Amino acid sequence: MRTLVLGLGNDLLSDDAVGLLAVRQLQREIPPGGGVEVVETGLAGLALLDHFIGFDRALILDSICTGRRAPGTVTEIAPADLHAIEAPSPHFAGLPELLALARRLELPFPTDIRILAIETADPYTLGGGLSPAVEAGLAGLVARAREILAEAAAPAAGAPCAPPAESGHA
Amino acid sequence: MSAATGADGKGSPQAVAVGKRQHVTIDPITRLEGHGKIDIFLDEQGDVERAYLQIPELRGFEVFSLGRPAEEMPQITSRICGVCPTAHHMAGTKALDDLYKVEPTPTGRKIRELVYNAFTLEDHALHVYILGGPDFIVGPQAPAAQRNIVGVVEKVGVEVGKKVISMRRRVRELITYFGGKVIHPVLGLPGGVSKGLAKADLARFQELAKDSLEFALFTQQVFKDIVLKNPDYVNLITSDPYTHRTYYMGLVDAQNKVNFYDGLLRVVDPTGKEYAKFPAQKYRDYIAERTEPWSYIKFCYLKPVGWKGFEEGPESGVYAVAPLARLNASDGMATPRAQAAYEEFFATLGGKPVHHTLATHWARVIEMLQAAETMVALINDPEITSPDIRRLPTAKPSVGIGVVEAPRGTLFHHYETDDNGIITKANLIVATQNNAARIAMSVDKAAKGLIKKGQVSEGLLNMVEMAFRAYDPCFGCATHSLPGNLPLVARLFGPQGDLVREIRRD
Repeated sequence: MRTLVLGLGNDLLSDDAVGLLAVRQLQREIPPGGGVEVVETGLAGLALLDHFIGFDRALILDSICTGRRAPGTVTEIAPADLHAIEAPSPHFAGLPELLALARRLELPFPTDIRILAIETADPYTLGGGLSPAVEAGLAGLVARAREILAEAAAPAAGAPCAPPAESGHA
Repeated sequence: MSAATGADGKGSPQAVAVGKRQHVTIDPITRLEGHGKIDIFLDEQGDVERAYLQIPELRGFEVFSLGRPAEEMPQITSRICGVCPTAHHMAGTKALDDLYKVEPTPTGRKIRELVYNAFTLEDHALHVYILGGPDFIVGPQAPAAQRNIVGVVEKVGVEVGKKVISMRRRVRELITYFGGKVIHPVLGLPGGVSKGLAKADLARFQELAKDSLEFALFTQQVFKDIVLKNPDYVNLITSDPYTHRTYYMGLVDAQNKVNFYDGLLRVVDPTGKEYAKFPAQKYRDYIAERTEPWSYIKFCYLKPVGWKGFEEGPESGVYAVAPLARLNASDGMATPRAQAAYEEFFATLGGKPVHHTLATHWARVIEMLQAAETMVALINDPEITSPDIRRLPTAKPSVGIGVVEAPRGTLFHHYETDDNGIITKANLIVATQNNAARIAMSVDKAAKGLIKKGQVSEGLLNMVEMAFRAYDPCFGCATHSLPGNLPLVARLFGPQGDLVREIRRD
């Protein structure tokens, strides 16, 4: 069983860096060669396809920008809850499309994908650094990721399909 | 922050009737929602008075750049954007050549061009199959549930889908071979490149270039069979809502042929006649930027012609960039198969210039041919494996301006430094800014063509989106928040500025 922990974001763009910062913390804790690979990437859209190929399980850490939750709020999203995108640009091809494409083309893709996302205050300012609310929420994001990985490492303890849950950090 | 704050302070766009004219203000918070947003204003009869597309834009680039060594810029700018890092990297590298007044060695230049054409091929292929595909391969009238990449695969076949994914991966291997990580390339240095091509690796990249050309030719056939043989699609491409008679700009070589990597900028007027030809260093003489109260993005226009509003025709400075503009602004393609396709393109669509925005998709396929043919020529050039890949710069730095044709259009990087090469000023003009005025006009025209007497047709969103999707606008140079979701909202406002209807897809 191979597990991918994938941090998404842009480390130059204020709160958009948070997914990368979270996986960097996990990288220090998770020994290589144990079946869990921790990866960070600045790529988006279809370019992410290559990252997933060959893994059985994946945990994605990212920022989210709904404008409807308090900045710093950590949310777990099921892939099925993400809407398919009829996007105005190819780089906005989303995870649902990647999954559908991988399935249709019979690519070796993770069957168990979980997504943790933290609400941003400002993902647009170059060199801005994390906003205080997201900085405060980062520890919660990492802690939740650790829990999910621990659950996955001990399959006897329960099924991996937890319902979507929110934990407030704002 | 260029936009005014909405009167309610809560971030919803405000439409305020001023006499008979509408005035719209947008609140900064709407930008943080990351929506592609279209605001449509109706008059007393329920017809469209004006429609706007809001495009978010990155903040703080200049401030972020100040005080950094210029050598960092090709790496930093490539990290700004997760979509076209190679274009930013190359424009930045060329700006460094200019800053240090050093020409790359012949092999250094050829390696850059090889990588750049490979990138153009890959990016265009993604657009043709994944972005344009849903509109033209699946069909604009197909149910929304089928208008996606999976719908494209169903139409062209699973084997073709596998081929697209496999070609993309192999082309990226070439880019990675020379530049390391695609998102953090370390290829370009002033005067050349950091890594040459080992003779031992030549054969596999020759094979890749050959396969790339086959793939481009195959794509051309797919486009012909599915799109051009369907009279409905051709009628749609040439229909009035998707047509604007504007100026066009693109890089050309010494023979006025399309070039993605280098050359002079050539501008043609709406009749196709050459209006200007200039080196990147003179861009300030030809291109000006202006702001509008309802948009975050700066709109470029031709400075000598002047800004006459969102208007077409020879008196208006509005111009376009990207594949269609490049074909219009040139006298042909630089390679034989692409040239044949270029001739067929203009013969089919009624001669030069072609003003139909949706023809951009076809122009993109023709550019794929040139990119692939150029890859074949470069990888078989005896000089490509020479170890002479860099000329060391010796001049004192001051001002450097670089330009490339990004897949989405002309991209300028402009740096100014002190004597030690530390940035004192930086400016970027990205493709979407060049196109912004024409994109705004396209959205407006499509909305006006579709909405009559307050009746919104079912296909409104997709048909209006098609007007700007052809340009492949870059929304904010890629904030990655969440796996790529970009919700779209269309809002209709009545003559008193009241919100009549909102169509939201998120």
